[in-house]
Amino acid sequence: MSHSRRLILGAVAALLACTAFTALPAEAAKTELRVGAASADVGNLDPHFSSSTSDRTIVAWVYGALVRFAPGSTDPSTIEGDLAESWEATDNNLVWTFKLRKGVQWQHGYGEVTADDVVFSLQKSADAKRSAYASDYSAFKTVEAVDPSTVRITLSNQVPSMLGLLTNYAGGFIICRKAYEERGEGFTRNPVGFGPFQLESTEPGVAINFKAHDGYFRGKPKIEKIIYRFLNAAAGRDLAFASGEVDVVAGTIDQRWLQRMKATPGAIVDIFDPAELSVLHLNRNQKPFDNIKVRQAIAYAVDPAQIAQFRGAEFTRVSKSVIPSNNLGLNPEPGLLPHDPAKAKALLAEAGFPDGITIKMISSQLPSYAQTDQILQAQLAKSGIKLDLQPVEHATWHQMIRKDLSPIVDYSAARFPVANTYLTQFYYSKSAIGQPGQVTNFSHCDVADKQIEAARTETDPKKQVELWQEAQKLIVADFCAVPLTETAQAWARTDKLEWGFDLKGSLSLGPLVTEQAHFKD
Amino acid sequence: MTDALSPTAERAASSKSAWAVLHRLNMTTWFGVAIVAALILAAILAPLLATHDPDAQNIIMYLSPPGPDNILGTDQFGRDIFSRLLFGARYSLTIGFLAIVVALIIGSLIGMVAGYAGGRTDIILMQIMDVVLAFPSLILGLALVALMGATLTNIVIAIAFTAIPAFARIARAGVMTQRDREYVQACHAMGFSNPRILFRHILPSILPEIMVMASLWMATAVRTEASLAFIGLGLAPPTPTWGGMVREGFDNILSSFHLALFPSLAILLLVLALNLIGDGLRDAIDPRLKDAS
Repeated sequence: MSHSRRLILGAVAALLACTAFTALPAEAAKTELRVGAASADVGNLDPHFSSSTSDRTIVAWVYGALVRFAPGSTDPSTIEGDLAESWEATDNNLVWTFKLRKGVQWQHGYGEVTADDVVFSLQKSADAKRSAYASDYSAFKTVEAVDPSTVRITLSNQVPSMLGLLTNYAGGFIICRKAYEERGEGFTRNPVGFGPFQLESTEPGVAINFKAHDGYFRGKPKIEKIIYRFLNAAAGRDLAFASGEVDVVAGTIDQRWLQRMKATPGAIVDIFDPAELSVLHLNRNQKPFDNIKVRQAIAYAVDPAQIAQFRGAEFTRVSKSVIPSNNLGLNPEPGLLPHDPAKAKALLAEAGFPDGITIKMISSQLPSYAQTDQILQAQLAKSGIKLDLQPVEHATWHQMIRKDLSPIVDYSAARFPVANTYLTQFYYSKSAIGQPGQVTNFSHCDVADKQIEAARTETDPKKQVELWQEAQKLIVADFCAVPLTETAQAWARTDKLEWGFDLKGSLSLGPLVTEQAHFKD
Repeated sequence: MTDALSPTAERAASSKSAWAVLHRLNMTTWFGVAIVAALILAAILAPLLATHDPDAQNIIMYLSPPGPDNILGTDQFGRDIFSRLLFGARYSLTIGFLAIVVALIIGSLIGMVAGYAGGRTDIILMQIMDVVLAFPSLILGLALVALMGATLTNIVIAIAFTAIPAFARIARAGVMTQRDREYVQACHAMGFSNPRILFRHILPSILPEIMVMASLWMATAVRTEASLAFIGLGLAPPTPTWGGMVREGFDNILSSFHLALFPSLAILLLVLALNLIGDGLRDAIDPRLKDAS
């Protein structure tokens, strides 16, 4: 080989090497996150109204709060500052002062977050006309801006875990006042927060697209874009994940799904808290549940252990009480009835229904609900109770049960893990459907009002817990609610995706995507 | 006396008489008839043929593959798929049949009146039919069921509504070809009333075409019912409809494809058989179409 020829070959090799190196950025970690959601469409993105799992998941990416749970945790002891840089309370815990971080920016160029926005948001959260969680904030006497970066909250009485009400969850989210007033009704589909991701566009029934909030105060998110795809069919979601169309998917609470995902190369399954408590709420104001014997018959007829077995021990356990078992104030032995179809039949006969009874139930078509409701249907049938299921789309179901259209409601939920929240929202008379401060008291339960109210202002923690436990005992004895199971959240993701923290819990019921989330190279 | 006045109708009727038509049916048509007959028999005898209670759950045995205990396996609640298929045939056949009978009666009536009366009545009635026809049948059925609720009666009404224009159009066309024929004019001359002419003299001439349309549309009705059930607008659980079984099986299609496979095959079989019958009847009634094809 001649010298010149060697030179040419060397030059070509060098050129190829350069080309190879210049090609490297194309193989760098991707920055677009594609999520497969178990939902047909977006519901309400006003965080003070968001109630479906899918909506709650999204709003936690868009909004922030005064304080937040450490990412990946639902433990109240991990609560840390979010918008609030620091805070202090008077000795009697009735006046709380929060110092805000300076320079925190709203999305979409709405400027800096001010104390005025915080005051507006918390007042909105406490207003039953503008919030679904108003009853949680009933002790808020005044919320005022001391100066542009200081907020003072004065309570009429002490509340259990005050910081819990101000976390990145439900009524605690802070919204942009200017955007809310400008956008009016449109705000529910076009939100503005100061969280790490801002809404870019919505394709109804197809996807919502988010982009990184460049001005996010903790730093620009490593993920630049999130495509949140509505893949309501479980098989469709799994296929999309298997083919690499999506990077993370909402799971199906089913043992077979778990086994299949665990066997899928490159897949990681996150099973995390909070476990949602599934409860049958029996409307005491409607026939036939105005008769306590019928309610008691239902409590005997259901078999939660069978439902837990169907779902699988990895996700689901039999519930212990009418509030989730991770709640401070749980009564582990409130007097739940054992499964006994014969006693259920006898009670029905005593109640005047010797030939059985037919009950209408509006049922969500979300697979997890649809499955549970069909199992319940078969269980109740053994006691002569015919459950006339009327399946509707999940968002419609949410609307219909909030109009008292279903005398029996199967509802799964997790709340801030202090008994007061769950008891207030589900069993306090002022939270009953149709009341000005309606939340999710579908049964119109009022038997534990005294205890729930007393516990809120009780300063002795031991006595407070005793009051909560007594409240659970009374609710169980009245059979206005029949607890079934508790089921954790399950999502699958590609092993190339890192959340940036250990995902053990997320009160938004979906993975929290923060500025830390990224793909490995 | 009346029949003697319509020689054309007589000839038409004789060439299309039930016996003559049956004689001209080909083997594939008889194959379709055999399948439909077998499915009707299976539906009627479902309580005797079913090996399990179609609604009985057995969660321990859920998603079992086909085997000796459950010949077609079990679904996600451990219910026997074979037994559910048998009972499901009752709903598919009932809905398909009733919907088409309703559509046939109403649609034919509208078409005959429009075709016979002509003029403004014809224009108004057929424009209404065109409006209905403009909607895809599944979308229209979906809207009606969503509006009225997913009960057996409402599903029948919704599917029938989507099929009415097809019957109206064919009945109108048939009447228009007959109304100026000599036997009809003779009827007029005899002073027969319009309803008598329409229903006793013209209807027998156009009935074979309507029946062919009915057999073909019954397949469509079965498909529409299955489609409605698949998208969640079928009969409420635990009623075993074939479309509903496919829908429920779809969630487990990656691990247990038999859940969706068997009801899908049942729908395929019934639709295929009804189409074979429809095609065979059409060929037998109007051999020119057969030759053309």
